[in-house]
Amino acid sequence: MEPLIKVRNLTKDYRLIKKREGVTGGLVDLIRPRKELLRAVEKVSFDIPAGEMVGYIGANGAGKSTTIKMLTGILTPTAGTVTVGGLVPWKQRLQYTRHIGVVFGQRTQLWWDLAVVESFRLLKKIYEVDDATYDRQMKLFDDLLEVGQYLHQPVRKLSLGQRMRCDLAAALLHRPRVLFLDEPTIGLDVLAKENVRIFLREICEREGVTVILTTHDLGDIEQLCKRVIIIDKGRVHFDGELDNLRRRVGRRVRMTVELRDSATSGELAAITAGLPVTWDEVQGLRHHAEFNRVEVPGAEVIKRLVNECHVLDLHMAEQGIDEVVREIYRQSGREAS
Amino acid sequence: MIESTGSQVSPSVLEPWRRTAAASVGLYFHFIRLAFLKFLAYRLRYYTGVVSYTIFVSGHYYLYTALFASRIADSGDATIGGLSLDEMITYVAISWIGRSFYFNNIARDLMRMITEGEIAMQLIKPFHVQTVMMFEAVGESAFRLIMFTLPIMVVIVPLFHIGRPPESILYLWTFISFCLALVIYSQINFLLGCLAFNMKNIQGVLRAKMVSMDFLTGVVVPFTFFPEWFQRAVEWLPFQGISYIPVTIYLGKRPGEELYAALLLQVAWAVGLFIAGRLVWRISVRHVVVQGG
Repeated sequence: MEPLIKVRNLTKDYRLIKKREGVTGGLVDLIRPRKELLRAVEKVSFDIPAGEMVGYIGANGAGKSTTIKMLTGILTPTAGTVTVGGLVPWKQRLQYTRHIGVVFGQRTQLWWDLAVVESFRLLKKIYEVDDATYDRQMKLFDDLLEVGQYLHQPVRKLSLGQRMRCDLAAALLHRPRVLFLDEPTIGLDVLAKENVRIFLREICEREGVTVILTTHDLGDIEQLCKRVIIIDKGRVHFDGELDNLRRRVGRRVRMTVELRDSATSGELAAITAGLPVTWDEVQGLRHHAEFNRVEVPGAEVIKRLVNECHVLDLHMAEQGIDEVVREIYRQSGREAS
Repeated sequence: MIESTGSQVSPSVLEPWRRTAAASVGLYFHFIRLAFLKFLAYRLRYYTGVVSYTIFVSGHYYLYTALFASRIADSGDATIGGLSLDEMITYVAISWIGRSFYFNNIARDLMRMITEGEIAMQLIKPFHVQTVMMFEAVGESAFRLIMFTLPIMVVIVPLFHIGRPPESILYLWTFISFCLALVIYSQINFLLGCLAFNMKNIQGVLRAKMVSMDFLTGVVVPFTFFPEWFQRAVEWLPFQGISYIPVTIYLGKRPGEELYAALLLQVAWAVGLFIAGRLVWRISVRHVVVQGG
């Protein structure tokens, strides 16, 4: 079957003006500004079939948002093509945007000074949503997101989590075929994040929406996407199943242990002997260890430690997206060389 | 896999869509309504405006009274630039009353949208930003008419004994002419705002606009005060359609055919500027650089 979204050799250059230093530099800039090209996205290609949820991840400035902005028709690419269901986003903007929903975590599409419900009424008109669909969708959003209670409050008075729920509802009111989510959980607390994820999973299954999600939060990806595309410095470094990624990178965790009695890292290494756990070389009450959860269950490490010495406190931090990307980048660099 | 037939659309195609004319009217009316509501929320801001406009007009009132008195003392002529003192006061008052109606800040709003990246949220919606902004300006002016223009009239008209137009029908034509002025004004503002796509910060341009517009539109001084060449020049510019034309209609300075010619000229400028705005927008949007994110 034809994929819904087809991206080929997508490239975007930004032109930056590089300032010279000092007064003379400033004057020279006036006459001959030094322009520099920055390649934000370089020859990105992928296909997405209808109904798939894809995580598009990368570190800050990797080119995620630029790609999303080209796919939503906001930016015109320097080179390459995008077609979504036969439409070119930045050329057939009016037709195309009817079929998409977009959430930018950093911005809102709700009308700031007005009550939330006014925005929904306007969106109903913009997308020509009929009354029956409108009522059904609003009921669904109230059931899943509990937006009903905020409808009559002005947007500026909502908390970030409340606003995000309303923004999600606003992006889905017209039952779009494609949904773009750019950092939808940024700045949300754990509970709000969880709510957003549950809602997304539910609604996307129900409506068969095709989703592209960019995020910093691996948790978003793990709970929502089967497939991930990793981008770094504008290029695709990984495109495949999440399980595959995990096999390649694993799930590295960094554990911090606080002991009652001073110990050397050698002593602790002896306790975890036979397990692939590496301890930082320190002596004292606080120790750090790293291991891969895929290889070693965390519980096994903890059990051994607690049995052998007096542990006061224990903390495990999952490897962040930046480290996963770095790891992938390191690996693909190794393959290339 | 067997493709389903009949009404079911293929999952890999987005079906064509077009908003019907009726739906467009409904949508744009909705934008008028929303803009009205939005400004209603900030109505307190406009009460001070009534005071400052009254001060403007009284300043001109005393200035022209003194000017005409010395003119009569010097040469016995009771007119300047073809206007009597009464007409002059009416000119100033109607100009400012009109300005309180058609004024908007589209250029500044557009600049902010571009520099702060909010433009992205507009571009992901199936509508023309230009048309939406124009109808929002209409909504703003509807609000201004009720909450700003009418209060100003209630204060200024009796205070300075503002004259009526020679014929009552001219009230209607003046209003229509100011409505066209609103379209022209909003489209000039829109075009200026588009400069922000290339220049980013257009604060300086906007400040220059604020000053020069009031001159070029004829709000501050009637064109007949200026030298021949200036009067000839402004005839070729759209700015006269913002204030000079409606005010001279009110004063009855455009008898018979001239009235219709003036209104048609306004319509032509309104349509021309709208088309220019659409073209400039289309070119500019290709250069959108969205900040942040």
